[in-house]
Amino acid sequence: MKTTSFKKKLVVLVSSAALITSVTAVLPANAADPSCTTASYVTTCVGATSDSAPYMFIATAAFNGTVLVWSHGLRPNVDIPVGIPGYGGYKVTNTPEPAPGGDKAIITALLGAGYAIAGSGFSRQGVNVQEAVAANVELIGIFKNKYPATKKVVAWGASLGTLITQTLAEKHPELVDAVALVCPATAPTDALISYFGDFMWGFKTFFDPTIKGFGYSAGAAGYAESMGDLVKFFTALGKLQAGLVSGAWPDTSSPLGKALETAKIPSRSALTLVGLMAGVPLRSEHVDGTTGPTGSEQLYPLAIAPAVAVLENAGTVGLAEVLLMADGEAQSGGIVFDNTKTDYAARVDADKDVYTMALSGNSAVSAMLGGLSAAPRVVGSPAAMAKAKSILSVTGTITRPTVLLTTESDQFTVAGAGQWMIDGYADQYAAAREAAVKAYKASKTFTPATNNLVALWAKTGAKYSKFTATGSPDLTAAAGAGTGHCKYTPAQFIAIAKMAANAATNGKFPNGGPITSTARKVGLSYDNKFRAPLFKSLG
Amino acid sequence: MIGKNRRKLITASAVIAAGSMLLAAAPAQAVEQGITTSSIKLGITIPMTGIASPGYSKIPGAMKAYFDYVNANGGVNGRKITLVVKDDQYIPTLAVAKANELIFKDKVFALIGTLGTASTKAISRSLQLSARGIPSLFVNTGYSGFADKKLYPTSFSILPSYQMEAKVIGKYLDENFAGKKVGLIYQDDDFGVDALNGFKQAGVDFAVKIPYASGSQGVAGVAGTWITKLQAAAPDVVVLFGVSSATAAALGNAYAYKYAPKWILGSVGGDATTLTANKVPAAFLAGSKGLSFAPAPSDSTDPYIAMFMDVNEKYNKNAPFDNNIVAGMTSAFLAVQAIKAAGPNLTRKSLIAAIEKSSATFANPALTPLGFSSTSHVGATGYWIGTYDATGSLKPDGGKYTVYTTDSGTGAVVVSTYKRPAMPAKGLPN
Repeated sequence: MKTTSFKKKLVVLVSSAALITSVTAVLPANAADPSCTTASYVTTCVGATSDSAPYMFIATAAFNGTVLVWSHGLRPNVDIPVGIPGYGGYKVTNTPEPAPGGDKAIITALLGAGYAIAGSGFSRQGVNVQEAVAANVELIGIFKNKYPATKKVVAWGASLGTLITQTLAEKHPELVDAVALVCPATAPTDALISYFGDFMWGFKTFFDPTIKGFGYSAGAAGYAESMGDLVKFFTALGKLQAGLVSGAWPDTSSPLGKALETAKIPSRSALTLVGLMAGVPLRSEHVDGTTGPTGSEQLYPLAIAPAVAVLENAGTVGLAEVLLMADGEAQSGGIVFDNTKTDYAARVDADKDVYTMALSGNSAVSAMLGGLSAAPRVVGSPAAMAKAKSILSVTGTITRPTVLLTTESDQFTVAGAGQWMIDGYADQYAAAREAAVKAYKASKTFTPATNNLVALWAKTGAKYSKFTATGSPDLTAAAGAGTGHCKYTPAQFIAIAKMAANAATNGKFPNGGPITSTARKVGLSYDNKFRAPLFKSLG
Repeated sequence: MIGKNRRKLITASAVIAAGSMLLAAAPAQAVEQGITTSSIKLGITIPMTGIASPGYSKIPGAMKAYFDYVNANGGVNGRKITLVVKDDQYIPTLAVAKANELIFKDKVFALIGTLGTASTKAISRSLQLSARGIPSLFVNTGYSGFADKKLYPTSFSILPSYQMEAKVIGKYLDENFAGKKVGLIYQDDDFGVDALNGFKQAGVDFAVKIPYASGSQGVAGVAGTWITKLQAAAPDVVVLFGVSSATAAALGNAYAYKYAPKWILGSVGGDATTLTANKVPAAFLAGSKGLSFAPAPSDSTDPYIAMFMDVNEKYNKNAPFDNNIVAGMTSAFLAVQAIKAAGPNLTRKSLIAAIEKSSATFANPALTPLGFSSTSHVGATGYWIGTYDATGSLKPDGGKYTVYTTDSGTGAVVVSTYKRPAMPAKGLPN
């Protein structure tokens, strides 16, 4: 009774006390020891690791011995001018983030359940996996030093943070007891680079060849080039939007684009093709691909919707391409994307009949691909590509209980990344089972292989598109389930955090029933046979 | 003491192991979705509304009618068949969504009769039918890929492949229009690619080829451009290898443009119901050549057609009897045969195995052999050629079916000597 009252009181207090300090804490520079304050049974500590990465951790008086170390997703490493869609006005920040987005509900729930939370802001932004892993290693040590009773560490992260988290688990399995990867970006380096690179190459080749996209200059000149690219990219995107129905091409289009326009191939078909070449989802937050406005119930989903979906998803993809490529090249010392051997016809072969009207038929596809095959390709620097792999690579090996949460139609960290982890673990698990049988034959003691992966899905709904009175897609309507990048509810974050924490405590996951039930309660799916397409570059 | 405990443990382990073996050996039907000891649930997604629907929307009703007839006579191995119908409007992405509903919400045992190459391929890939072991019975597409068991291990087509069809048309052109100019309108996707491959194998040289993107036949003005291109090239005979809504658009515009070549319509493109729904008189079909692998719907002397007519009257509200009714009932008839052959311990695996193993003995209306085997999942393997009359009914030339058979490869087109199995008593599976 006493405990229950205390816990109840704590939950209430946590929600107010912990958050007050979450963003406004004054950080001691280069301090090895954290600066801690305790209020209403909640202790909040801030500090900086040896590389000046600020961190924060929070624990209550009822700390149960398990800490969740969060790694946030991509923050650009450059300021973004006002006016650029999505990130315009962004200033580089390394504010520590101990839970997803500093969300009050998530923090309250996790602290209230007895867990501690921790997170760094990292010493650099952009492509920062190596720096972030180092910061997390230190952070875990600092936390354990402060709380020697710590028994279990759960590493979790979202988006780019999943690369940090998975790299941490691969390089320092001794520090991690369980892992949760939310909207995973965990994939081979080449595949990640190819996704963004293929899209931008196709886009610029058709719609604006003055977009640089690759091979940015060093320093301020490179910054100016990349920001200039963003302006050009979004301008062309706006023109494509204006020409969706008429098929008109942007006036910035290449000679190839203009020739295709003369051949009566609408720009929306080229945009759809570029999306398919790269593997951009053809469903988006407001485009279900199956619904049309009144009077165009059949024609719209067949002819227009795929391009609208690519258009809605393209903003994120193009923006990320410019920012990631510029940073990746700067860190790697050259161009990290190479499409000299890419067979784009093979990339679209399986889908071209499904989207035949959107692509204007096989003949139009042949004309567009023919034009692209004659266009100059991007030649990567072998040294830079090798360097990129060294700063951004995971093996996908799973040695700790791992929860994977993937959105089926995520345009940034596409579902293929989650699928790559699932496929890789299937091989790993099969090998473990085989080894267990071999060991049994040798020793007559059977230790079954333990399943260390639970893959949850946010599946895309069948029908969610809304239309305005004039028949245009209503982009102000609620986004469809299973779309967008990392758009999970607090309840979903909390559910997977607890799932991972329980697995850390027990050393394994429960059987399927409880997992299915937990997933279903928060609108997720546990379906071992569901399969998302792999990255296009992985076949 | 330790020894005793060990013995106990060993005994207990043996019991547990034996129990596990028993469990493993138990029939899987207890956990197979969509079946009980008294029922089987099948699902179909097909265009029930939209441009492609007027003819195809009759297929599920025909299937249901035959299933109801079988159910009224005791069902199959004591199980009664129900059919869940979804409308995909001939939109592949919607077909995927509807098939998803059938499998995960309605929990059907198997899919049947999905329609259209693009939709059927998209369903198979998106829903991982192969990995999940979900049968997709008698798909309504002639895409040659479905004949390949390696590519589509759980799917079976009912139509001959489009490649076979193009080869048969090629032979007909060679025998009847040698030296004449030939034009082609074709659907510009895998449906059409199959046809182009077949025509190439048959050595057909087209004076003009007009591709159209599936769906664009419904866009105002598109079909008119086909006709002006044909008029410019002036072929003597035009092959139209597309769906019936494309035929309606072509024939309607040909009439408007006063253009009257000799038409040869691919097997999926000569549906009078679709023409009528598109405000094109069925009489526009008159004189055109067409192909079919089943008996003519008007041929009431054929025992299968007569039985289907009877079932249609009693269980389908006597819907206007046409090729779509025959197609639906043929698929249902084959499905019943397959379920029967799979035996009382029905599972998805046993159903697939039964079709692969026993289909040669299946009674069915097709006038060509069924090609199902352990390596091929293609259905019928040939066509007869006939002429449409003023009612839009296809009738064999000379009043007699001359059936050509071939393969999807380089094999020759030959006149079939196949003798169709006799219809079982009352049209019910033996």
